Amino acid sequence: MVFQDILKITRHGKGVYEITDLITDIIKESKIAVGTCQIFSQSSTSSILIGDTVHESTKKGTADFLAHFAPNDESAIDAINEGMKNIPDNLKNIIHRTSLSIPISNSKPGIGVWQGIYLWQQSESKKSRKITVTIMGE
Amino acid sequence: MVRHQALRFETDGRGTYNITKQIQEAITNSGIRSGICQIFMHHTSASLILCENADPDVRADLETFMQHIAPDGDDMFIHKSEGPDDMPAHIRTTLTQSSLSIPVEDGKETLGIWQGVFLWEHRIKKQKRKITVTLVGE
Repeated sequence: MVFQDILKITRHGKGVYEITDLITDIIKESKIAVGTCQIFSQSSTSSILIGDTVHESTKKGTADFLAHFAPNDESAIDAINEGMKNIPDNLKNIIHRTSLSIPISNSKPGIGVWQGIYLWQQSESKKSRKITVTIMGE
Repeated sequence: MVRHQALRFETDGRGTYNITKQIQEAITNSGIRSGICQIFMHHTSASLILCENADPDVRADLETFMQHIAPDGDDMFIHKSEGPDDMPAHIRTTLTQSSLSIPVEDGKETLGIWQGVFLWEHRIKKQKRKITVTLVGE
């Protein structure tokens, strides 16, 4: 059986948002007890990642690393492609991921005790972000 | 048809471990001949990679690369509660894979001749790690 739904995220700012509860609700609604769940971000500047749920500082550390790797300063923007101001945000997204697949067991996300599912928004957006959730199983 | 199985590993600390054989065993045990095999890591400081399996220097170089871009004990990191390798282990995980999907054909993982599935332990000390293998197919 295949079940599909689209999550609309209406938080517009840059940041890291936990979406584990939203994914859990969709899995419950699908009535699929065992299988796989693919979470796909329909944006080139927001990614889906597994992260540590305990220490907030791990998110700060990852964000600092990304800022160091692809700085949003003028020199980096000019060096890559003049005028395309969100190139560093695209780069951050490329080294993270557009989609994540997780197992489903007992009608829940079959993830680790300290794992959560996070949306990383690398840029501001006036529109809502769409995430397609596709569940396959029985 | 959906089948899933938990695999447990004890690592000797930082490094790559070839788990291709164990994944094939899980596929064989499932009885699924054709479909998709999802491999999911239940941790945020260890990850999965598909990598060249012939020359171990490739994995040694990957290790060197990671140490270069996310050095242990770097002043940039604030999350050090479990030691200097703590935050780098989380970053290495976000830069590699928490889940892999590989095709299954004739009851076998259809990897390239020079591809192997590796568990990459990012913590320096030895750890217990859990992986779920979910097969969807017939």
